[in-house]
Order: sequence, then structure tokens, then C-alpha cells
Amino acid sequence: MQVRGGCCLPSNIKTGAVMNNNVMDKGNIIYRIRKYLRSAEGSAYYFILPSIVLLIIFSIIPLIVSFYMAFFNANMTLDQVSFAGLDNFKQAFSDKRFLNSLKVTLIFTALEVPIQVLGAMAIAALISKNTYTNKLFRAIYFLPVICSATSIGIMWKMILHSNVGFFTYALQSMGLGKINFFNDTHLTIFVVAFISIWRSFGISAIVYVTAIQNVNNSLYEAAEMDGANKLEQFIHVTAPSIRPTFWYILMTRLAGSLQIFDIIFMTTDGGPNYTTESTVTYIYSRAFSSSASMGYASTMSVILFVIIMTVTVVLYRRMNAEEA
Amino acid sequence: METVKKNTAKGIAFIILLILALLVVVPLTWLALSAFKEEKEILAYPPTFFTHSFTLKNFANTAKRIKIIRYIMNSVIYAVGTTALAVVVNAMAGYAYARKKFLGKNVFFILTLATMMIPFQVIMVPLFLVVYKLGMYNTYWGLIIPRVAVAGSIFMMRAAFAGLPVELEDAARIDGLSEWGIFWRIMLPQVKSSVICLIILSINGSWNDLLWPMIVASDTKMRTLANGLALFVGQNSIQYGASFAGALISIAPMFILYIFGQKYFVEGMASSGLKG
Repeated sequence: MQVRGGCCLPSNIKTGAVMNNNVMDKGNIIYRIRKYLRSAEGSAYYFILPSIVLLIIFSIIPLIVSFYMAFFNANMTLDQVSFAGLDNFKQAFSDKRFLNSLKVTLIFTALEVPIQVLGAMAIAALISKNTYTNKLFRAIYFLPVICSATSIGIMWKMILHSNVGFFTYALQSMGLGKINFFNDTHLTIFVVAFISIWRSFGISAIVYVTAIQNVNNSLYEAAEMDGANKLEQFIHVTAPSIRPTFWYILMTRLAGSLQIFDIIFMTTDGGPNYTTESTVTYIYSRAFSSSASMGYASTMSVILFVIIMTVTVVLYRRMNAEEA
Repeated sequence: METVKKNTAKGIAFIILLILALLVVVPLTWLALSAFKEEKEILAYPPTFFTHSFTLKNFANTAKRIKIIRYIMNSVIYAVGTTALAVVVNAMAGYAYARKKFLGKNVFFILTLATMMIPFQVIMVPLFLVVYKLGMYNTYWGLIIPRVAVAGSIFMMRAAFAGLPVELEDAARIDGLSEWGIFWRIMLPQVKSSVICLIILSINGSWNDLLWPMIVASDTKMRTLANGLALFVGQNSIQYGASFAGALISIAPMFILYIFGQKYFVEGMASSGLKG
């Protein structure tokens, strides 16, 4: 029987005894499999079984289905399914609303990711020491992370309300004029990006803080001996040391931004005039509205998936090239 | 001269940090205060920050206008159900990957990790179809089961179990404990802090989850607080006071959880991957 290391002698003896009692079954393959599944190693299959089954049914099969569905036309209940070939893809690349949604998603990503990746790093450097005030700042910055997008949307929508918004009023009394934050084809995308950053800035900052705290202290001491000031220490010691965290945040943030949905749904729902309609927002409305077309929605999902994967793989290879 | 420069830099840094902190605290405080304002005051111009017309009417209205009690109940069922199953399923898998050698271990582990790369938003359409075909549309099972197994949590639990000494298991095995007993009674209690991280993350994630309940729990009776409130706000005849009260009800339990478990929130999110 399988024994882990050499330290399980008593249990080994026990299994040996059982074997002798069942000498007849010795050659029986089913018996041996069952025996193995009860052993220390074999039981691993029971332990991973639930997660593997769930991940296959609810992650891997849906991914395969989405690639399959992309070539079909189907309604929401799959009663009417017909082969579409490449028609859905042709439709997507001539669908102005889809192309616009890709543009909006890219603009949003270009606004959000640099601030999340670089801004959070700078702020984290300022609050990485474990002083009382720094801990308080960290606790506060993390606060929006635990709030639901629903609440955050309700809150910002009213604070930036064009008539009775508290912030709109404050800006107006400073003489900046009445700003229509949620109904301006140029401005609103910035507002949405701001709210999204407001919501998750805390995670990026805290992850950086953890990384900065793990930097070897002697590196700073050496830099200090060389007469480096705090800023130089950050550039030459901290920044290079936390590079893995930088890549990690960059990749997760990019993938997250390319899938932006919650905040847009709660604030603008794509408006005004589709200037904040992200790809996922558009996919959602095509898949789950009255005129549901699951096939076409899948096609757009597949295109988005390819974009996200391409970005991730390119970055991953850059990371490996740089770290090597 | 040097110290003056240093102090100025420190002062500027502190002011930036303070402004950012106010940017978080002021809106949230405003929301909390506004939940207790009369509708008149909310819509008054100029807007007020502090509450002048203290009222609890908004909370009563949430019960009248949207089935908030039902929504809260659904959110609790979703959060508790998902979390209970997630702890067992993900800890089991993490334990096996950390402590056991078996045929195909790497294949299964890579398969698990690969699912981390599948964005939820990309598979939401077919996932809906799978749940629909399994007859779980608009049921608690449909809401809960697809969200149980999470590669990030398995990864986190694997790291936690990997750090434990071998002697623990061997001693239990000599005592004649079953493999399940070793896992459940000996090993799992050893990684308590990781389990708490997982519990907090899972509760927070499902309580705040918007997209999945919107897709799979569209029936008014099945809506969770996050999606019920979102759909209420989407209506034309919106009552602001009630929506603020609803938002406060949505934030409050997480805020309390955060006050007591800040360490676990931070640790969990840092070690199992970023969300959103």
C-alpha cells in the first residue's frame, strides 16, 4: 500500500492485516482501486472532486459553450437555434455600437489603469511605515472596497447630481459654474473612471504597502549610507524591489478594467449617447434584454476574451523577459 | 535648510493623504446622513450636508416600495450559502494540492489555475444557459452553486496548508483517524486565519455581487439587496430617501464586519488575488 514517507509503520501493518483477510480479492481491480481511494494519497481525489466538478461545469464548459455559441443564432431559452457561421463576427465588426463599446472600454482602461498602478504605488510609499496615522489612512482608503457598487453608484449619482448635488453645488459656489457630470458626452467617461478608481484604489494601495513592507531593510540602510534621499531611495530601492507586485497589479487591473460593468450600470447605464457604454455593458444588454440574442452576445464575449488574453499574454511575456 | 526642505515635503505629502482620506470619508458620511433626511431636504437647493429634518421614514419606505426584507433575506442566504460551501470545497481542494501526492495532481492543479484566467463577464452568457438548462434559474441553488469553487481561494488555502508540519498528519494517522477526520478535525483548525479570510472575502463578495444576481435571480422574489436596489434606482419614479436608506443598509453590515476583521479583509484580498 502507499505509504507517506517512512513514518506510517503502524498504519502499514494494519492495512497488511486487512489484506490477509481478503486474500481472495487480491487480484480484484475494483477492490484495489477502492483500497487506494481510502489511502492517504488516493483519498486526494475525493478532496479535489467537488472543486473540479464545479469548475468544469461552471467555468470551463461555459467557456467552451461561448466559443461554440458564437457561431449560432439563439434566443434566451435556446428553443430556436440556427447555425450562423461567421455571420455574427461579420455583424460585430460592422456593428457601430460594438466598435464604440470597444473604444469606450479602451479609453476607460487608459484612464483607470495608470492611476491604479502608478498612483497607488506612490501613495503606498507614503503610508507604508506602521505609524498610527498611516494605519488610519490605510483603513480609510480601503473603506470603499467593502461597499457594494450599488451603494457607491447611488451615492455618487446624487453627490454629483446636476441640480441638487452636494459636490456640484460646492464647485458652483467656488465659481466653477454648473457642471453636468452625468450628461456630458466628453466629461462623463472621466466621471465614471473616477468613481471606479475611487472604489478600488484601496486594494491596489494596500497590496503595494504589503510589498513595500517586505523590502529588505538593509537595502535602505545601504542607500542611506550612499547619501540617497527618500525620493532617490524610492526610485532606486523600493521601485525595483516591488516589481513583481507592479506586474501583478497591472495585469489584474487591466483585465478588470476591460470588463468594467457594475459602476457604469449603476451610474450612466452607457449614456449619454453611448459615450460610456463599455463592451460588457453592451453584451449584457444584448444578451438579457427583451430582444435577447445569445449567439451574438457570445460572439462579442469571445472577441473580448481574445482581447483580454492577448493583453495578458503580451504583458506576461514582457514580465518574464524583464525579470529574467 | 535640509530639514526645512524635508519638512515641507512631509507637509505636502500629508496634505495629499488628507485630501484623499476626505475624498473617501466625506461622501460616505454624506450618504449616511442623507438616509435620515426628509425627501424635501434631499431635493432642496442649496443642498445640505448635515441632517436638519431627522426622520426614519426612508427606512420604512424601503419596506413599502421595495421588498427590502425579502431582499435582505435573499442576500443573507446567498452570502451564507456560498460561503459555507466555499470554505469546505476550496479548503478540501487546497488541502489535497498542498499535502498529497497523487496521479495527475499537476494536471488538475493547472486546470484549476487556468479557470482564474477565465473572466466572469466573458462567460456570463453561457453560464446563464448552463444554469437555465440545469433548471436552477431563479433559484437559490442557481445563485449559489456556480460561485462556490474559486481558484483564487483554492490557491490561498493551498499556501496555508503547505506551511504545516508533516508530523501533525502522521500522528493523527497513527491514532487511526480517517483521511476526512485528519483534514476536518486536525488540519483545518490549524489554518484558522486563512479560513477567516476566505469567509470574510466570500461574504463580502456575494453580499455586494451585482452582475450574477441580476442575470440569474431576476424574479422579484429572488432578488438580492444589491440587485433589487439597483433595479429600484433604475426606475423613473425613484424615491431618493428610500434609495439612500437602502444603500446604507447595504453598506452597514460590511462596515461592521470591516471594523472587526480589517486584518482579514486586507490579508485575504492581497493573497487570493484582486477582484473587480
